[in-house]
Amino acid sequence: MKLLKYTVYRLAQAVPVLIGISVITFLLANLGPGDPVSLMLQGQEHSEELVRAIERRYGLDRPLHERYLTYMAGLLQGDLGQSIYYERPVTDLILDRLGPTLLLVVSAYVFALATAIPLGVVAADRRNEPTDHVSRIAALVGVSTPSFWIGIVLILVFAVKLGWLPSSGLYYPWRPPSAYRGIDGHLELYYQSARHLLLPMIALGTLQMATIMRVERTQMIESLQGEYVKLARAYGVPERTVLRKHAFQVAQLPIITIVGLNLSTAIGGAVLVETVFNINGMGQLFVGAIQRNDYQLVMGVTMMLGVLFVVGVIITDISYAYVDPRVTYGERE
Amino acid sequence: MAVSESQFEDNRETESEDDIEARVGWRYTAARIKADTTARWGLYVVTVVLFVAIYAAIDSNLSLLTFGVLSDYTFARLLPIFDHPTYIPSPGEGTQHMPPYFPLAEQPWNPLPAGGTLEHPLGTDHTGRDYFTRIVYGTQVSVFVGIVSTFIGLTGGTVVGAVAGYYGGRVDDVLMRIVETVYAIPPLILIIVFTVFVGGANIWYAVLGVGIAFVPVFARIIRSRVLSVREMDYIEAARAAGVRDREIILRHVVPNSFAPVLVYATLQIGVTILIVAGLSFLGYGAQPPTPDWGQMLNIAHGYMHSNVWLSIWPGIAIMITIMGFNLFGDGLQDALDPRIDD
Repeated sequence: MKLLKYTVYRLAQAVPVLIGISVITFLLANLGPGDPVSLMLQGQEHSEELVRAIERRYGLDRPLHERYLTYMAGLLQGDLGQSIYYERPVTDLILDRLGPTLLLVVSAYVFALATAIPLGVVAADRRNEPTDHVSRIAALVGVSTPSFWIGIVLILVFAVKLGWLPSSGLYYPWRPPSAYRGIDGHLELYYQSARHLLLPMIALGTLQMATIMRVERTQMIESLQGEYVKLARAYGVPERTVLRKHAFQVAQLPIITIVGLNLSTAIGGAVLVETVFNINGMGQLFVGAIQRNDYQLVMGVTMMLGVLFVVGVIITDISYAYVDPRVTYGERE
Repeated sequence: MAVSESQFEDNRETESEDDIEARVGWRYTAARIKADTTARWGLYVVTVVLFVAIYAAIDSNLSLLTFGVLSDYTFARLLPIFDHPTYIPSPGEGTQHMPPYFPLAEQPWNPLPAGGTLEHPLGTDHTGRDYFTRIVYGTQVSVFVGIVSTFIGLTGGTVVGAVAGYYGGRVDDVLMRIVETVYAIPPLILIIVFTVFVGGANIWYAVLGVGIAFVPVFARIIRSRVLSVREMDYIEAARAAGVRDREIILRHVVPNSFAPVLVYATLQIGVTILIVAGLSFLGYGAQPPTPDWGQMLNIAHGYMHSNVWLSIWPGIAIMITIMGFNLFGDGLQDALDPRIDD
């Protein structure tokens, strides 16, 4: 019951932030010197009438607050407006592209967690031994390398040089196999999508892996010095059990927070990785919209990516509260 | 180690607040940095990178602010000790000089040579410009952008965080909601939207955009520090003496809340360089012909099959630079934190 209350409280807290995001994106798109119409007509000769006509068509001749309210009213109904380039509803375009991006981000996190947690635990257990030093250097390299460059290097090695893995595109496992030429059966589709996903997943996940590993190591070191660990050892609990059970569980809590907060880096990274691997996700949609000055679409995608981050943080907050009994619900620090 | 072991000898059980107090201050910090291998290496790398950036800035007629264009430059040109006939400025050549464009087949130089010569140790790019020189000059842009935009974020964040934390109440609520909102938009996305809609793709707007995008991060740290500093007796005393709020914030609150932020800023320079590299890679940072690592990677992406190394070198340069700042930041964090002691 308490948890439900906390969930509702966190959701309510997100409302002003979401409104704020809509205001910021709206203002950026509408107030800057690069207003939509001049961006649309960039480099083209145009008459006053044409400008007027465009303004009227997209309702740009009305005062700013009125336009914002219209936009907001649309938002509440899930309508993000009409894309100028595609001439399709922004909502539809986003829903089409959300899948690949989510697949990419989620798999990158799975990869990061699956590698970072064991590595962090081993590093903490063998603190100041060669294993620890090697993993710390690896983590340092990981946080210092741009994800898109990792992608480029992976392509150069595994696609161009060795020819083992494809360098671009993605097969969506949720589509029927018949949607793809030359693929029969679900098994082959899964195999193909795994093959295509592998390199972008590593490219995007490396930074997360390095960050999580650093936190995991610090947390484990701290946890191993805790009273409960001393007690367990004093009772003669085997060292393996102490490490895997007593110390491990407590150390995982901050990881949840890190995963949530790093989501914004991961979303930004996804834009770059999608560009390198030519994946048709939200990132590509965003980059294309920016290039074509499709301001309606830019607003929609920015809004959506902000929502994605807020939702991610809320999910991690709630799961944190679920896992950690010490969390006080709904009270301010 | 030069620093005696006894100085760091520590017994957590008997450690008092006074002992912790004794471990702050510049001399102690400097000693810690010297003793800490990580911090020392970070300092070395950062020094080398800064040296390269400054060298590129004062060299020749290319000023820092125009992010000069490089064309006929060769590696040998960078090292005055070699007697070389390679660089002969043509009449009227200014900073904007570009080599004549030759279609690939007619190029007088070997298109995209592998490098390894003294003249072009890393080969040339697609227009025949020396790649090593461009990498060297790229340092300037990355370091400049990293430091300036971090400074903007730091300044903005300090103002917002200090005001919010000091006044509290409604001011705090409003400012923090705004900060949270800006924080909720992924930085890269926010920066691109800002750059394109407010300024047009231009490195200056990118710098400003990155700075603004990182205001929330600094504001949060400063605010949480200010919340505890504001309860201190000396603040109370200043207030009782009738010192104005602005004076109190500037003279007492900010200086006393600054240490953790400084460490964070060092680490943030690395993050900023990372983001700007991505921004330039997408084409919204430094514009050609300015040599910039991200933008060089963008161009090299199109030549992945003809010259692999064009895609490798700028990435290594980015990695080393960011690693330097991260190492130094990590070391600084340990050195400045009076509780850490191992």
